[in-house]
Amino acid sequence: MFDKVLIANRGEIACRIACTLRELGVRTVAVCSNVDRGARHTRLADKVCLLGAAEPQASYLNIEALLQAARASGAEAVHPGYGFLAENAEFAAAVEAAGLTFIGPTPEQIRALGDKRTARDIAQKAGVPVVPGATGADRAALRKAAQRLGYPVIVKAALGGGGKGMQVVEDASQLDEALDSTQRLALSGFGDPSLYLEKRLDRPRHVEVQVLGDGRGHAIHLFERECSLQRRHQKVLEECPSPTVTEGLRDRLTDAAVAIARELKYRGAGTVEFLLAGEDFWFLEMNTRLQVEHPVTEIVTGLDLVRLQLEVAASGRLPITQSDIVRRGHAIEVRIYAEDAARGFLPQAGTALRVRWPQGPFVRVDAGIEPGDAVPVHYDPILAKVVAAGGTRDQALARLTTALDQALVHGVMTNLPFLRALVRARPVAAAAADTEWIEREFLASFAAVAGAPAPELALAAAALLEWMGDGAPTGTVFPGPGAARAGSTDAFRAAGRWRLPGLE
Amino acid sequence: MRSHWRDGDRVRSVDLVPQPGGRFRTTVDGVELDLAIERLEDGRMRLSSSGEEVLAEVTTAGARRFVRIGHMDFVLEREAGGRRRAAATGGGALESPMPGMVTKVWVAEGDVVTRGQPLLAIEAMKMEHVIRSPRDGRVKRLAAAAGEMVEGGVTLVELEEAS
Repeated sequence: MFDKVLIANRGEIACRIACTLRELGVRTVAVCSNVDRGARHTRLADKVCLLGAAEPQASYLNIEALLQAARASGAEAVHPGYGFLAENAEFAAAVEAAGLTFIGPTPEQIRALGDKRTARDIAQKAGVPVVPGATGADRAALRKAAQRLGYPVIVKAALGGGGKGMQVVEDASQLDEALDSTQRLALSGFGDPSLYLEKRLDRPRHVEVQVLGDGRGHAIHLFERECSLQRRHQKVLEECPSPTVTEGLRDRLTDAAVAIARELKYRGAGTVEFLLAGEDFWFLEMNTRLQVEHPVTEIVTGLDLVRLQLEVAASGRLPITQSDIVRRGHAIEVRIYAEDAARGFLPQAGTALRVRWPQGPFVRVDAGIEPGDAVPVHYDPILAKVVAAGGTRDQALARLTTALDQALVHGVMTNLPFLRALVRARPVAAAAADTEWIEREFLASFAAVAGAPAPELALAAAALLEWMGDGAPTGTVFPGPGAARAGSTDAFRAAGRWRLPGLE
Repeated sequence: MRSHWRDGDRVRSVDLVPQPGGRFRTTVDGVELDLAIERLEDGRMRLSSSGEEVLAEVTTAGARRFVRIGHMDFVLEREAGGRRRAAATGGGALESPMPGMVTKVWVAEGDVVTRGQPLLAIEAMKMEHVIRSPRDGRVKRLAAAAGEMVEGGVTLVELEEAS
């Protein structure tokens, strides 16, 4: 095992990786930008290196500064987390060229799977069906391909992924504008303007398989995750196992994922994503990193994925065999984001003045912030993940609902109100949602709840605190018991509407 | 004391009238509440009425108040002097909806624009948001250029009536 590992990331994932490193007795090196000085992920590390200014290009995407930090700190290996440089082949190559170990696949594997065109070729070579699609260098070819596939189609950045850099096109009149804007995003976000066109499936589900390879042709799987609850192709709630996949389909999905990993001689942890309709499935993409939603797999299999990544990177061997891996129970995760769900999910920044994460049996929280921590504008607005486990899906969902009711973040707006309503929605309880259900149906129900006036009690509390000022001694009773007057309204009856209904 | 609070799209009022003997009356939007309140530490208070009670937690962040009642959170914003802001679509100014980088500007000052026409695009967290004209008019002032980083809530474009 390594003595010292640099974590090239920030936020909750850097904190989560640091936990396993500490547990293994590996010294941890954190990196941070100017605005992240003192952030939680730096507090968990043995050593902290400053990368540069707040902008990702100057800090967490700055390969030179990261290598400098690794050299200066004496780290032997680099864990990229997810996002930032996690799927950047140049970074992986630069880390290895500097004589360090990149905790992830080879640069060639990252490059091949990061390009949707070669990734599809690999899947097909492994005998796995792919979503009908087309690549093309020029506009005329793409226009013709869209016509052949039939609208609606999805325009994607060839090097994009994880829902970033893609746009749905309903008919031919929208194609040019979508190609223009996706091309701009592809260039600014992924450094390559190449585009790729895909048939948009009708109400598909999203199921992915966690795989682990030794880099020499051995590969195993850690079952699947269902991630159909999405908003704008961003996952919102993930669970393991999938409540909709039958045993037969599970075997076919995991076989397909392992076949792709074997075909590539894949090294480390990866995720093969599929779209499903009924018992049919198509390869979507393979992510060459630890996923945001990896905790649900960890809970159900009892395996620490970060530890497995480290062991494969350090030894070049898989520390377990397929028959060691068993499923037990069910786990569900939601992502807490700093965003205003009632106002188009606009990203929010500020200071998380008051934070209380849920506690209780069978609840796990992977958090990037504690009370008083800043939430900067420059990065992905994920604050934490809340995961609940149960013997059954119903039990896990009930625990998650309770946990979300307990969670509190004040000082920066979060999507907690949205998540609390989501876990109470009937299609979620029934596992009947497809990837478009949130936008097609749920957002309208949520808007009705979010748009309701705050209870009178909330306004009274805000005004009373202001009136009392900070100087009033605590314990003072205003105005004192027995102050009820005839003709006044029962404040609690008036406030009844804040209680959350079950949503359709 | 009367205070005004922005609650989503509404502006709501609270009247607190101190009474002799340390008492006061609380009225929200003209509805009088029968409330007793006990202040606890750190922005917490116990509100009770007719034998029921609930814990409220209020956190002040600038003009915003984050209020937890039971298991629900509400965000209210103190309105200075009870003034109501013009709705963004009714006034002439278009504000940036979030912090980010202006990636594209399709109009110039003096241009006549129609409702729904794309004016500029902002990118944040790899998402592009196109800001469209809320109505027909003319670009009076353009306060942002492509490549510029902008904060949330700053004016990007001012529109005027096209004569």
